[in-house]
Amino acid sequence: MQQEFHEIFVKYHEIITLGVYGTAIGLMLIGLYAVLMKKNLVKIVIGLSIMDAGLHLLFIGIGYVQGGTAPIFSPGYEDAGDRMVDPVPQALVLTAIVIGFAVTAVALSLIIRLYKHHHTAKIDQIKSLKW
Amino acid sequence: MVITPIHYIVVPLLAAFAIPLLVKIHKELPRIIPGLVMFYNIIISIVLMQQVNEFGYVSEVIAGWKAPWGINLIITPFSGFLVSLISFMGFVIWLYQYRFKKVIDVGELKSYGILQMMMITGAIGIIITGDIFNMFVFLEIVAITAISLTSFYRHRDGAEAGFKYLLIGGFSSTLILLAILLLYTQVGTLNMAEISERMHLVPQGMKATILVLFIIGFGIEAEMFPLNGWAPDAYSQAPGPTSAAFAGIVVKAGVYGLIRIIFTLFDIEGAFDFLIIAGLVTMIIAEFSALKQTNLKRMLAYSSIGQMGLVMIAFGIGTKAAVFAALFLMFNHAVIKSLLFMSGSILMYNSKDKTISTLSGMGKKLPFISLLFSLGAFAIVGLPPFSGFWSKLYVLTAAANQEMILLIGAILAVSIVEIVYYFRVVSKMYFAEETEHIAIFKPSINAKIAMGILGAIILIIGLYPDLITGYLHNAADMILDKASYIDFVLNSNAPVQ
Repeated sequence: MQQEFHEIFVKYHEIITLGVYGTAIGLMLIGLYAVLMKKNLVKIVIGLSIMDAGLHLLFIGIGYVQGGTAPIFSPGYEDAGDRMVDPVPQALVLTAIVIGFAVTAVALSLIIRLYKHHHTAKIDQIKSLKW
Repeated sequence: MVITPIHYIVVPLLAAFAIPLLVKIHKELPRIIPGLVMFYNIIISIVLMQQVNEFGYVSEVIAGWKAPWGINLIITPFSGFLVSLISFMGFVIWLYQYRFKKVIDVGELKSYGILQMMMITGAIGIIITGDIFNMFVFLEIVAITAISLTSFYRHRDGAEAGFKYLLIGGFSSTLILLAILLLYTQVGTLNMAEISERMHLVPQGMKATILVLFIIGFGIEAEMFPLNGWAPDAYSQAPGPTSAAFAGIVVKAGVYGLIRIIFTLFDIEGAFDFLIIAGLVTMIIAEFSALKQTNLKRMLAYSSIGQMGLVMIAFGIGTKAAVFAALFLMFNHAVIKSLLFMSGSILMYNSKDKTISTLSGMGKKLPFISLLFSLGAFAIVGLPPFSGFWSKLYVLTAAANQEMILLIGAILAVSIVEIVYYFRVVSKMYFAEETEHIAIFKPSINAKIAMGILGAIILIIGLYPDLITGYLHNAADMILDKASYIDFVLNSNAPVQ
């Protein structure tokens, strides 16, 4: 089963790589669209999160090495030094996810406060300050 | 105990998270602890600046992983100068805000103390770290805490200003992350010294793309046009001490990021011209917007953006004299603008609807505060004998040495606009008829001391600029000397481990 999967993966490697990059960039564009075009505050924050998710996927995709192993020297993998998956982008993504979580939390709490104050979540109806 | 750069980050962070526990012991503690921490930061700065003067730099390796692999903290004359400035301003702002309100609301005080200390930690972290991703993390700490502080008061429109800041900030952080990713695929390292060393391997087009992404990202904290839409709202809605902290602390860290990336990481010719143009546009638009503001704090915010534009112009000229002038401007902006925000927000408390027209007669009601505000206003437009005069003079001479006549004309023309709107406020305070009688909110004695300290600095530096020019010359040398920065980080047999 695993062998089969591996063969399929090698055969269609380029398409899969392209698919990952394409998905990542597509997600970023979807997020950007939501941030720029949507009027609802919650939808804008969802857009920011989708944009971040796309970027994280791009990080992981770039760090991947075809047929790579986990970046740990373990029995049976003593010679794996040159085919390890780069661990740095994964560490960066973990940190970035936590930061994104914090930003989303702050954004949602601000939306709650804005909703209590203005009784609406439409961005074009909240204009006490000049936008 | 040996004082090392890591104390800058560990001590305020520890204190920030200890506040919720300490408040159970005594309810005055969340007011006092930030002051002690800021004072300790000043002690660290003094000790480390002595070491920097002796050895040229101080670097620290974290967790035993040496420079290219682990995260390192490095204090050069340039970053040491900015960190000392931030520590000092942090302490003065604490002194100003201590007992700012007579009524104690413990919950409010607690969260304010935590957020403020984390913001200062983040700003210092941006400056002393040697790792680009670490810089991004600290930038996000600054952004999140600054957003929370902007929306601190429930009864103002803070949430709206904060949300605006968050949208711009969230977008920019994505761009910085993308830039870091592209940079990592090109050079395979995150250490700034090593990136700088390998930068010549990167193709020109890629380099320009990454630089643009970085400039947009850091331009937001540095209030660069057109990324500064958040600034006037955030400044005007945030609590008074926080506005002062934005001008004295957050913006300084943003400019540091911009300068470190343009001067140390990249060596693209066009980047300097871009800085001049961006700075010029920022300055002209901001100063003219300031002219038509009726709210005092918004006016000060636009003026702050204009000053940062001037700083960018000075860095963009790029000669040693110009970089020196830019650093002098940053110092002046931190001190003077903080003084203006501090005295301005007390004046605002006493006016009916926070507009400039209700300030009439303040010169009699609040003589000391009005005097300090006028001092700040005269200093920031660059009248002698105040400190603002020297920095503007150095910028103009630096531009004259490069024969940039148009630039000089633009700076002088904008200065006239600046004089008009500052003098309008001052004349309103002193020469307009007193219109209405309202209950006067008297500032506390420690707030007066804090503002007095800043006013004294403006006067003393104005009369004896040589007191700090030595440090500034060292710092300017350091910015332009990329090779020795790389050498410090990568081949350091660090004097302090």
